[in-house]
Amino acid sequence: MTTTFSSNVASFARIWRRVGVFAALVLLVIAASFLSDRFLTAPNLLNILRQVAIVGILAIGMTFVILTRGIDLSVGSILGISVVLYAGLLEHYSMAVAIPLGLAAAMLAGLVNGIGVAWARIPPFIMTLGMLSFARGLAFIYTGGTPIPILNENFYDLGNGYVFGVPIPSLILLAVLAVSAVVLSLTAFGRSIYAIGSNEDAARLSGVPVHQYKVIVYVISGLVSGLAGLVYASQLSIGTPIAGQGYELDAIAAVVVGGTSLFGGKGSVGGTFIGTLIIGVLANTLNLTGVDPYVQQLFKGALIVVAVYVMSRSDRA
Amino acid sequence: MAAGTSGILLEAHGLTKAFDGNVVLNGVDLTLHAGEVHAVVGENGAGKSTLIKTLGGVHRPDAGHLAIAGVETTLRSPRDAIARGIMVIHQELSLAPHLTVAENIYLGHFPRSRIGLIDRQRMHRQTGDLLRRLHIGIDPRTVTGDLSIAQQQMVEIAKAISFKAQVLILDEPTAVLDEDMVGTLFELIAKLKADGLGIVFISHHLEEIFRIADTVTVLRDGKRTGVSPVSEVDQDWLVSKMIGRNFPAFNAGARRPGEPALEVRNLSRAGQFEDISFTAHKGEIVGLAGLVGAGRTEVAQAIVGISRPTSGEVRVFGKPVRFRNPGSATKLAIAYVSEDRKSLGLLPNRPVRENATISNLSRFRRLGFLRLGKERAYVRDVIKRLDVRLPGMDAEIRTLSGGNQQKVLIGRALAVEPRILIFDEPTRGVDIGAKSEIYAFIDGLVASGMCVVLISSEMEELLRLADRIVVLRRGRVATTLSRAEASETTILQAAALAG
Repeated sequence: MTTTFSSNVASFARIWRRVGVFAALVLLVIAASFLSDRFLTAPNLLNILRQVAIVGILAIGMTFVILTRGIDLSVGSILGISVVLYAGLLEHYSMAVAIPLGLAAAMLAGLVNGIGVAWARIPPFIMTLGMLSFARGLAFIYTGGTPIPILNENFYDLGNGYVFGVPIPSLILLAVLAVSAVVLSLTAFGRSIYAIGSNEDAARLSGVPVHQYKVIVYVISGLVSGLAGLVYASQLSIGTPIAGQGYELDAIAAVVVGGTSLFGGKGSVGGTFIGTLIIGVLANTLNLTGVDPYVQQLFKGALIVVAVYVMSRSDRA
Repeated sequence: MAAGTSGILLEAHGLTKAFDGNVVLNGVDLTLHAGEVHAVVGENGAGKSTLIKTLGGVHRPDAGHLAIAGVETTLRSPRDAIARGIMVIHQELSLAPHLTVAENIYLGHFPRSRIGLIDRQRMHRQTGDLLRRLHIGIDPRTVTGDLSIAQQQMVEIAKAISFKAQVLILDEPTAVLDEDMVGTLFELIAKLKADGLGIVFISHHLEEIFRIADTVTVLRDGKRTGVSPVSEVDQDWLVSKMIGRNFPAFNAGARRPGEPALEVRNLSRAGQFEDISFTAHKGEIVGLAGLVGAGRTEVAQAIVGISRPTSGEVRVFGKPVRFRNPGSATKLAIAYVSEDRKSLGLLPNRPVRENATISNLSRFRRLGFLRLGKERAYVRDVIKRLDVRLPGMDAEIRTLSGGNQQKVLIGRALAVEPRILIFDEPTRGVDIGAKSEIYAFIDGLVASGMCVVLISSEMEELLRLADRIVVLRRGRVATTLSRAEASETTILQAAALAG
């Protein structure tokens, strides 16, 4: 009985990984369009795409990290520090100064994570947990605890504007997705990321510069956190030190629902994007149908657990 | 458990065990008396570990009888064996490093105080008494992880005694010890023997058998080929019983070695090997023989830069090199196929294709992007040349058989276009068919000018393939045997006997 059950789960998991994530999204969209006639309208769909942009961008960076069998718990805090930097710098400088500096700070935080993980061999969970606290602390210190308003009107467009009718945050998400997909599938670096996650020692013996690449992966995660921070700061037009709190968990959820294995070496950013959409569509549908926000949390929690359970079966199979 | 009137502690008769139809233990008898040290010897795969596991209750024999102190018995589990006074001490010690010596010894049977807590005072007192009785000078309060390997072994033996063991089975206890420590261990064994315990002693080092054992049983291919009081035999007798048959020494080789390709000069790495020198030429195979723990893999890994030698020199085609990581060895066209496929070789959940090319992706790259078509063509070629049998190159490599996995990993080594190839146990865990194919493939590589270093524990493999055999013993070169000199006897003598 149990063996049939688990082997059924395992074979389901294999299918899930290949087409299932996408199929689940399609099913969800069909269900949503029956549940609410407002769902399948262009404004609503674009709205979803804009709402998921921030977590979606974070989740793509997170995918790189998780593919190496790591984790980055500090993305929300790195987003936070970049947000207060954009706000603070825009008080005195132009966007051309503020944006590169904010992104650089986010990359620096990622660099510290990477060095800690790769060279000091601190477990990723611990290293990035430390950075979660540290970067958040810096954000509070920088602002003195008071949010900094952003008055530069050009900056608003990044989070609120449209190009050809598509929200700019969504375009940023799609651009990050496209570049990441190409890097992971068509470069030696991307291929090596999978190898490191699959068997780090074997990768090292094959000549893969494991330490170097691990550092780069955390820098990428920092960089996209800074990009997500750009969208965040612009949408809210305020630099609050609590920006992005808890987002790391939403990003991890999107990655695992998207079929990437927490055990490394298996998954894709395309899957993560679909995972992001599944969570986004679920939230949107529950909103449209007037489900209590507290109950919505239950749905999301159950979705994550079921997805990870199914995936872990296929890892063992 | 008390010894029978005859003094026989353990009597095994006709023990037989097969795995998947493969008979690994075939009608083996063994009698162990009180106060006897009984050595069991044999080549790798002769059935020693299966015999130990059968006596220790891990395996149940398919046929045969086991009598303990004259009483016919079936051992259902290791726990059952321990309850009947049989304790196996494995090579990998099973102590908890963070607990104290006393806690380790009494783990699972802690002395309790009246209210059910661990009675630490009593535990420490009893441990102290036990260690003193065995002449082991260790404080019961020492944290076990702080002890040397030899001391930990003593603790493990003391633990066995605290379980009232009458039969102690030591599985290659000296493999992890240096000379001084071996002496200390042997003193303890002599003490236990005087106390009337029976000891089964497994060792690869034949000289140890003459130092300590009363009786010796020789196994070959799962059968007992000899048993005798040690005083009545010599080393030649042991070796002949271990090997049994005479292999044709060599295929007369038509190889024509060229210039020196790999020169290793006085290479040392502290604690692992010392003063290793040998030269391998283009178009020849140099074998590295030696027992487990002789340092063969360590030497290979230092040559390719996985570990760093503490002194000595490696020259590649005349140029001195110092590899800082495996990547730099790759650039100089040295490739290494590891013995440990699972932990150092396979990318288990990645496709065969990626496994075959990860060692040299730059080969398939243009303007920074991988050309997947070119990669596929390379992998197709590897699959064809090595006759890899697989559902498709995008199948995860973990789904392949051991032999096919190994062929893919050889393909990975070839991707760096090596001029020197180091094979470490290339046919371990590989079925017979794939094995002969791998032999033929290696032979073909050498014919086209490859320099090959072959590390193997299989005599037949070395004799069949190697032009010269460097025999290592305990981290040093014991001897170098030419094709004419090499035979199972000469290799085994050099590897196992005191110089």
